[in-house]
Amino acid sequence: MKVSNSSAGAKRKYRREGTFGLVAGFGMLLLLLLAGFIFPLISKYDPNQPGLTPLLAPNMENYFGTDILGRDIFTRVFDAVFIDLGTSLVGVVIPLTVGTIIGTLLGISKRKRINSLVGSLIDGINAFPFLIFVIAIISFVGPGIPSILLAICLMNWARYARVARTRAVVVNDLAYVEASRTLGYSKPRILFKHIIPNVSSETVAYALSDFIIVIIGVAALSFLGFGVNPPQAEWGLMIRDGAQVITLAWWPTVFPGLALCWTGIAVAFIAEGTNRRLKESNPK
Amino acid sequence: MRNSSSTEVASTIDPNKNAFRNLIIGRFGRAIAVSFWVMVIIFLMLRLSPGDPVRIALGDADYTDADFNNMKIKLGLDGNFITQFFHYLSNLLQGDLGTAYLSGIPVAEIIKVHLPVTLTLIVFSILLALIIAIPLALAVALSKGTTVSYIFRALTSISLAIPGFFLALMGLLYFGSILNWAPAAGYQEEFPANLRYLWLPALVNCGSLVPVLSRVLHSSLIDTLDQEFVETGVIRGVSKVRFYWSYLLRPSLAPTVVLLSYIIGVMIGGTIIMESIFSLPGIGRELITAVGAKDYPVVQGIVLTFGLLVVFASFIGDLLGYFLDRRVTLS
Repeated sequence: MKVSNSSAGAKRKYRREGTFGLVAGFGMLLLLLLAGFIFPLISKYDPNQPGLTPLLAPNMENYFGTDILGRDIFTRVFDAVFIDLGTSLVGVVIPLTVGTIIGTLLGISKRKRINSLVGSLIDGINAFPFLIFVIAIISFVGPGIPSILLAICLMNWARYARVARTRAVVVNDLAYVEASRTLGYSKPRILFKHIIPNVSSETVAYALSDFIIVIIGVAALSFLGFGVNPPQAEWGLMIRDGAQVITLAWWPTVFPGLALCWTGIAVAFIAEGTNRRLKESNPK
Repeated sequence: MRNSSSTEVASTIDPNKNAFRNLIIGRFGRAIAVSFWVMVIIFLMLRLSPGDPVRIALGDADYTDADFNNMKIKLGLDGNFITQFFHYLSNLLQGDLGTAYLSGIPVAEIIKVHLPVTLTLIVFSILLALIIAIPLALAVALSKGTTVSYIFRALTSISLAIPGFFLALMGLLYFGSILNWAPAAGYQEEFPANLRYLWLPALVNCGSLVPVLSRVLHSSLIDTLDQEFVETGVIRGVSKVRFYWSYLLRPSLAPTVVLLSYIIGVMIGGTIIMESIFSLPGIGRELITAVGAKDYPVVQGIVLTFGLLVVFASFIGDLLGYFLDRRVTLS
């Protein structure tokens, strides 16, 4: 953790650690995306078309076996890659953008009333457990991926706003921001070119660890029955269906679960690597 | 605001006493403000939801205008926005959370019956997690080997990335179906008997709790180990127990305890899933059922309970953090 007073050798070691996480993480993610692109294309089975023998154990024809309706699990697991990753990506990027901007504005604004009002609203939203808030919204707008995304956006901007506000207060007082103010740059220019890039390095790092939570959260919501509509292949829903017959057959549950773990671990490695990098570039 | 007051106070004669009073007042004020927003958000949820909640509450059955108006009053949706809000707030303060559509039972009653199960699971999970995390973090921090801490970081990362519901199903498959160590469903309220039903869900919760707790504890232990008083302790040859508790753990525990109170929120999310998978009669399972049935008063009541629980927990956590390490507020 102490990079500043360690020798050059130790410093190189730190870079290697961060690099390992990044390479492993991006490698795993790339493999998954490739598989998600190629396997459904070349597979001879339709992911959503039942008709094979139900609950066939994994074999040379159906590598991951078949589910209760007689669908090929191998094709379905990889068919679900883009819906799972895409949903989570949208669910991270929108709150990240909105939260960073609102948080930064709060951090640099001088109006105390608005600041404390929005500040306690942010705390109020953050007081709700993630899954509870999302489930509550879903109960009012109905299940489905759009509702999940809506709920995640309504909730998660507040977490980013809190991170951004704390950082913006610090950045706002830094010498280079003062300097650009003295130079008479316009307020939007100072905000978007000088403050937000500095604030966003922090919120993006947070977004990576949030990404894991969102991926798992989206799958968990589908698992609870609030997500995609059948027959669409989605990992959480596949695990939900598999759980009904888990005492008869383990494969309909285990393979989508492993895909989910694979994704989570890939993102965790990227997040860990990025954190190491950030710590290395600005040691405290 | 709090920062400026605590630095002012630090310069007076008895800084600790004043800082403590200010801390309690400040935190309490914040907890009240946050609770207020929690109530406002829940109030708005029903009002801003698409579709007419009155019609949804009445279901598909035929209803007369009188039924419609009665339901409107029952839901607190009559009158204008402001009167609705005060009506809602005064009901809340009297402990009236409305009645469930389906069963007709008061929501407060439902919460009273099912909340203890959920709280038991949460407390049990946290205790189990601490029993695992504290020795783990101590061992890794004291080993000082880069390989050990590297493996520790990698394993905790991986453990955090594994979804709890998948882990729970695997646990149920292995311990429930194959080894027959855990019952797949059911629950008993009494203390020693309930452990039989709770140990596996609690262990699964530890899959995400232990990494978070042990990581924070580990990094504060590393900071503590750098302090001079630790060396003094070694030189003075204090007893092992005293050394580990007073010299190492106690100065390092504050961040973990504060974190623990924030983790309650994450825990509640995990608990809902555990309750559904293990069929525990907790409040989370009630929530899932209520959402499926569009039983809005129950949904509102349970979500409110969870929100207030989190606010309360973080209030307590901040105070505990102060008691464990008085430097927290003064620095």
